[in-house]
Amino acid sequence: MKQRFAPKAFYVIAFLLHFLLLLTVSCQQTFWILASGYTSLPSSLEKYWRKAEAASGVALGQGFDLANPVRQTVSSYIQSAGIEGGYGFFAPGVPNSYKLVFQLRYDHGRMEYDLPHVTDVETGLRLSSLLDEIGRTSYEPLRELMVKMLAYAMWQEHPDAVAIRAVFGYVEMPSAAELRGGKHETYNFLYAYDFSFGGQSDPKQAR
Amino acid sequence: MARIRNWFEAFLFAPDSDRWLALLRIGLGFQVALFCLSLQNDWNELFAGDGSGFIGRDLTEAIVNIESPFAPKLGWLVAVGTHVGLGEPTTLSLLWFVLLCAGCCLFVGLFSRFAAIIAWLLHVCAVKSGNFLTYGMDNFTTIGLFYLMLSPLPDSYALDARIWGSPNKDARILGFFHRVLQLHLCVIYFFGGLTKSLGAGWWTGVSMWRALTRPPFDIIPLHTLLTSQPILLFVGIAVCLIEIGYPIFIWWPRTRLVWLILILAMHLGVALAMGLYLFSSIMIILNLAAFGPGLIRCGRIQPAEIQEWTNPNNHV
Repeated sequence: MKQRFAPKAFYVIAFLLHFLLLLTVSCQQTFWILASGYTSLPSSLEKYWRKAEAASGVALGQGFDLANPVRQTVSSYIQSAGIEGGYGFFAPGVPNSYKLVFQLRYDHGRMEYDLPHVTDVETGLRLSSLLDEIGRTSYEPLRELMVKMLAYAMWQEHPDAVAIRAVFGYVEMPSAAELRGGKHETYNFLYAYDFSFGGQSDPKQAR
Repeated sequence: MARIRNWFEAFLFAPDSDRWLALLRIGLGFQVALFCLSLQNDWNELFAGDGSGFIGRDLTEAIVNIESPFAPKLGWLVAVGTHVGLGEPTTLSLLWFVLLCAGCCLFVGLFSRFAAIIAWLLHVCAVKSGNFLTYGMDNFTTIGLFYLMLSPLPDSYALDARIWGSPNKDARILGFFHRVLQLHLCVIYFFGGLTKSLGAGWWTGVSMWRALTRPPFDIIPLHTLLTSQPILLFVGIAVCLIEIGYPIFIWWPRTRLVWLILILAMHLGVALAMGLYLFSSIMIILNLAAFGPGLIRCGRIQPAEIQEWTNPNNHV
């Protein structure tokens, strides 16, 4: 016996709505890349790309207030279907990678340097995504909170450290020509944060 | 207008077998199991709510909640665990184990529909609760699981069909979900190729160089890359052309086999040259499920099937 299915029209409507959202999200990310001036297209067009990006946002309900149920429903659906991100991996160019170095200060002025610890390659890739996210974050309090949480995880491994300085920067790899000329990778400073967790268990309470 | 409508319906609901669905189910079961095993040592640390890991789950979920309060999160399930007296570490470990079991069930085709729903739910929960720690692989796994969960499971190759018998599936509905997966892959590669093509670096070999020297993807020694620099120029251009040409050449019967091999080779190259094994495996699984049926059977390419695939009179 054949299973009964919903009418064909139901599938067609669901398909059209799903692909409308998928294409709008993909276009929005493409317009953002174009508007940000990362491509070889004329910069005079950037204002138009910005308008197109904003229009795509409106189509996704981003013109509504954050608490608007339509916006929240559309966004939740997009997230649940895995279509919230565009597909411009390493596009239009490959960005630099970020690096976080901890300077651990102990009593009597002793200092040590350490990096966030991972136990396997897969977690290393995820940590790299996290550092990219911190690098992309323009909202300073959020960036500081994220670095603070990583510093707290480091302090748990070194509870006798009296203070931790987290230095966030990016690694610039030499081009092939520069490498032939003897240039090596360089570490460029972006931000530094000082934390002290002594006697506190919650990173949000830290100084 | 009526002709367009008829063509659209015939295209969208072209009758199909369930071989693609079996490939997708087995592949995603394998992928979900690998996902779990790859995070076995760090699972609790990654998703701890108190900030004892890298980034506290509470922070990530609070940010996701601002715009997507209805997207599933681990916090919901941890709250249920707390309600029945389970501590957070126990609940997290239990969820890891259930996700691993769901992956194994999908692989063998046991309780396929239920396993697909559980795998999608727990995977989305993990991805949303660890939103800052995700990368492309997680999105593609969610996409695959989302379609798998909605597709008419179980397929006739599943253990379910052997145990409880195989219910007759509407071939048009099977064809519909197959089309959706195929079209989604075309969107993925078209936009990926388009955005790469807009940057000068992919046409000069610079982006290939940067991709292969950028930590943590720098697994090929620099001196090896230096000696093979001319190849990088060729590979960079090839990546752009393969991706942007995918939505055209994967449909054309004369080029379908070639394009599928090219795209699979590209992902295999990404795995070996950049260490992105899970990312590559999910892309290979999605491609094989979308355009592979008829090409691969029991790991062997059948000559008759190659003939069938390369026959210009055949339609997708």
